[in-house]
Amino acid sequence: MTRLAGRRPRRIPVGPALVLTATVAIAVVVALGLRSPPASDVDTTDRSAPVPAPALSGATLDGGRFDLADARGYVLLINVFASWCGPCRDELPLLVDAGQRWSPRGLRLVGLNVRDGTEAVRALLDETGATGLTVLPDPDGTRAVDWGVRGVPETFVVDRNGRIVDRQRGVVTRQWLQQRVAPLLAE
Amino acid sequence: MLGELGTASLTVGLLCAVLTALLWLRVALFSAPIRPARLATAATFAAAAVACGVLEAALLRHDFSVRFVAENGGRQVPLYYTVTSLWSALDGSLLLWLLVLGGYAVLLAGRRYPLRLHAYAMTVLSAVAMFFFALSCFAANPFRTVDPVPADGPGPNPLLQQHPAMGVHPPLLYAGYIGLVVPFAFALAAPLAGRQGRAWLRMARPWTLPAWAALSAGIGLGAWWSYAVLGWGGYWAWDPVENASLLPWLTATAFLHTALGRGAGRAGWNRVLACASFVLVLLGTFLTRSGAVASVHAFTDSPLGPVLFGFVLLAVVASTVLTGRRTAEPARRTGSPVLSRNTVVLVNGVLLVTLAAVVLIGTVFPLLSGPLAGVRTSVGPGYYQRTAVPLAIVLLLAMGVTPALRAGGWTRAVRRLAVPGGVALATVAVVGLLSRPGLPALTAFGTAAFVLAGLVGELPDRLRRAGRGQRVGRLAGTLAHCGIALVAVGVAGSSAYGRETERTVRTGETLRVGDATIRLVGVDRTTGAGQMSARARLRLSESGRAERTVTPALRYHPARDTAVTVPAIDTGLLRDTYVTLIAVSPDSGSATLRLAVNPLVGLLWAGGALTSVAGLGAAIGTARPRRRSGATPGGTRPATVAARARVGR
Amino acid sequence: MRWRPAAAALALAALLAAAGVGLTRSAAGTGRDDPVRSVAADLRCPACQGESVADSRSPIAAAMRQAVSDQLAQGRSRAEVRRWFVERYGPEVLVEPPARGVGLLLWAVPALTLLGAGYAARRTLRPRSGPDGGPTAPTSPRRAARAMPGARARRAWRCSALGLIAVVVSVAVATRSLDRPGPTPTPADPVAVALGLARDLEAQDRYAAAAQMYREALRDRSDDTIRLRLAFALLRAGDAAGAAQAATEALARVPDSPDGLLVLGLAQRRTRPVEAPRTLRRFLTVAPEHPAVPEIERLLAARP
Repeated sequence: MTRLAGRRPRRIPVGPALVLTATVAIAVVVALGLRSPPASDVDTTDRSAPVPAPALSGATLDGGRFDLADARGYVLLINVFASWCGPCRDELPLLVDAGQRWSPRGLRLVGLNVRDGTEAVRALLDETGATGLTVLPDPDGTRAVDWGVRGVPETFVVDRNGRIVDRQRGVVTRQWLQQRVAPLLAE
Repeated sequence: MLGELGTASLTVGLLCAVLTALLWLRVALFSAPIRPARLATAATFAAAAVACGVLEAALLRHDFSVRFVAENGGRQVPLYYTVTSLWSALDGSLLLWLLVLGGYAVLLAGRRYPLRLHAYAMTVLSAVAMFFFALSCFAANPFRTVDPVPADGPGPNPLLQQHPAMGVHPPLLYAGYIGLVVPFAFALAAPLAGRQGRAWLRMARPWTLPAWAALSAGIGLGAWWSYAVLGWGGYWAWDPVENASLLPWLTATAFLHTALGRGAGRAGWNRVLACASFVLVLLGTFLTRSGAVASVHAFTDSPLGPVLFGFVLLAVVASTVLTGRRTAEPARRTGSPVLSRNTVVLVNGVLLVTLAAVVLIGTVFPLLSGPLAGVRTSVGPGYYQRTAVPLAIVLLLAMGVTPALRAGGWTRAVRRLAVPGGVALATVAVVGLLSRPGLPALTAFGTAAFVLAGLVGELPDRLRRAGRGQRVGRLAGTLAHCGIALVAVGVAGSSAYGRETERTVRTGETLRVGDATIRLVGVDRTTGAGQMSARARLRLSESGRAERTVTPALRYHPARDTAVTVPAIDTGLLRDTYVTLIAVSPDSGSATLRLAVNPLVGLLWAGGALTSVAGLGAAIGTARPRRRSGATPGGTRPATVAARARVGR
Repeated sequence: MRWRPAAAALALAALLAAAGVGLTRSAAGTGRDDPVRSVAADLRCPACQGESVADSRSPIAAAMRQAVSDQLAQGRSRAEVRRWFVERYGPEVLVEPPARGVGLLLWAVPALTLLGAGYAARRTLRPRSGPDGGPTAPTSPRRAARAMPGARARRAWRCSALGLIAVVVSVAVATRSLDRPGPTPTPADPVAVALGLARDLEAQDRYAAAAQMYREALRDRSDDTIRLRLAFALLRAGDAAGAAQAATEALARVPDSPDGLLVLGLAQRRTRPVEAPRTLRRFLTVAPEHPAVPEIERLLAARP
């Protein structure tokens, strides 16, 4: 803090005034920040403009092939998961249920299995009754990175035109599925 | 039962704290008798002690009807960590905070200082205590009863149950943080106390020294804990909690220096730095205890943010308004010579304050960028490496110039610096030709050599010329500077020469870094005591040392759904071999391991310990009250290097 | 004794040269410059708090390191790799905020502090005259030096005491209001959400989607009001049979529900035109005040 030497005794000291002004300014900014919770922490869903989905193809866990490009016309729910992630285990039954229920209306559920062992995934699928799920193994996780995955679980919604229209970081809920996926199926 | 007793003690404590503040204010304003105020201070302390004792008793008796015990206690927690779980979460650590604050208040109240200065300082201190009591009472009361009473608790955060340093690190850190309230209180009291206030520095500095020593030790232990528990191989990540402890340390260090020699001519600096140190303590509390910034060390997340922030603002406004006034200073017809202690102390102050500004803006940046830019971005270590590291090296250089100050004139100064300069150049040449540590590390080595050579070279002369009472202070100063230089060498060495590798190996396979090799012998799994753990048995062989078994572990605590990697650290003379178990395959046939060789880390701990001990030594050696008749406020003795402020009686 | 300065100069020159060589060697690179690590160190781990991809233990960070390694192996430059990550994760993936906009603060604040503190230090070092030339110039503290006169002291006492108590009270009040929102917000009711969404869809004339939402809501909570809303939505979506069925289900429990009769009658106009007038007349007798009455009367009059 610096104080300018004042000749007159009644002069307002510059230093303290500056400090107080700066304090008030910072306080306002921080108060704003405290009032509205951080965007990146709370906004787990991203409803920005649809972007074309990155390519995704390869051998599935059960020996078949999957190519995103062939899935045009379907609404795709791409769930990034791993057997070592607890929340993934928890949400899988819900997703599988939705996939079965809505499959007549054009929904396909695809699991992208990140950095996992084949045995561990099979055990997980057996455990959760998701044996029929299309699972694409991603042993080193680079496919997930190509999709911009930030952590597991994460779920992407790809519309019938092959564009990512929605994504959910963290666990999906029934409510989210109804809000974000069901309308796409009705179209 | 215990819950009610605890709540009652907190309520009594709050009332006592209010009473204490008012009584000391009466002493200050009306020269009322001091005795009731002292008694009230003691009562406040007693209330804090009872609250702490009750909570500790509840923890030890596993009384899960008390909220804090239900949240942080556990029947399977070892005794030691049950005791330390008092400060493993916000509400309990607030009690420890109150206890330490109360302790300082009692000690300060018992001293004999000029009455009005003393009373105003105690008023400030009591007001701070009052605020924290109110916080504990209304917002973070750990004694609220839980219904229905759970049969067992989850225990403290598993990360806080891994290292014995947990028992001393938080109390030391708190002793450091809260100790800084004393210079703050004196700085605020000085302008109120008028003529008596001019002597505030003489009273404040002896209190700052132990606080600073405790803070240094606390920071060092925190780094050690981080190194030994978090398992990522480092000790400092520029994490908000670490930064929050560094900030007041930087300004307090600057204050200790500007206050040297009774702060001759540096009144403004002393006031600002004394206030800033405690304001930064409060700010750090706000940052780390409110969940405002994310951190790996933040074990608490509470809604106290706005209240704490309000108090930070109050402290800033109060200190600006009270100490911002211009005070009269003796005229000085001549400026300081360029080579004088005044110059170096001020250069040191400028650098430390700038360093604090770097750390501060880096820490609060997410809070500012959120509202201003819409995206919360935090600042990574790269920023600090580009800003703080060069500043720290320049600071170190300034430290090395100190020996030149004693002798008059440039020629003698240059002659005095010739040997350290030569040692520094030789170090740079040898290290630079034999290895490639990178520019910052090499500069740091050279500068540290410069500092150490200078300090060691001048020590005999310095001690010989010191007066009888000054020896301890001078020795302590030299040792503290040596400690800092050692820390610099340790930091530079471990970051420049550290090597690491990470791979999944099957049983019988090896992993190699430099000349250190580990071979996976097997993986053991155990369950029990509230945790599941996997332990990798490894044979470690290094050239020139016998083969040893090391066992890093991975522990999973279901109660908190937390996995803890417990690294195995093999400490050698010059380097640590650091093995972390990252993952284990389901069939236990393979394990993902990380092997790192961290050279010179030992110097870091040694330097930190030396600095803290030296700080404590200086505090003990110089704060001994000496009977001197007619302690003149303002001080007329000529300023000498080690003229520490003494408590006047 | 002329050799001594010469020897000293020689030694100094040799030391300087050796140190210079050492420094340039070090500046050229540290010898363990790992390109993957250096790129990864510039990326922020999206799943962690304040850790870089290079340092983080999280699996996503490991995957990102692998991606960096793959890309570099394909011959992309570091800048290209960085851009690739920014395209996928946004600019906040870069550890260092760009030095523009708010990011400028990171450099401006330390710079201003350095300047300010430097200026203050210069002022402290400069020779100065005391305010009035004397060593103990009288300024404001002098006023306070004497014990305050009684009235002033009493006023100060009253104000300070009130201030102290105000601090305690404000802490109590502030934390009280903080407690209310609480850490456990009541979980959103999925049925209510589905209903709200369905109403929004109806407002957008997307009746089929709205009907779907009502079905979802019914699955969680069997409620005749929802069933009737479903019937209306189905009717508007053109699924008269479905609407009739839903309305019949609702009427099975509440036979005289006006809305049920109304929607059933309207649906029957398409599915079973013979029964429609009867149902609609029953609607008119049950609810003569219903807002739809004039419209229904008109319909019945038009097609008796």
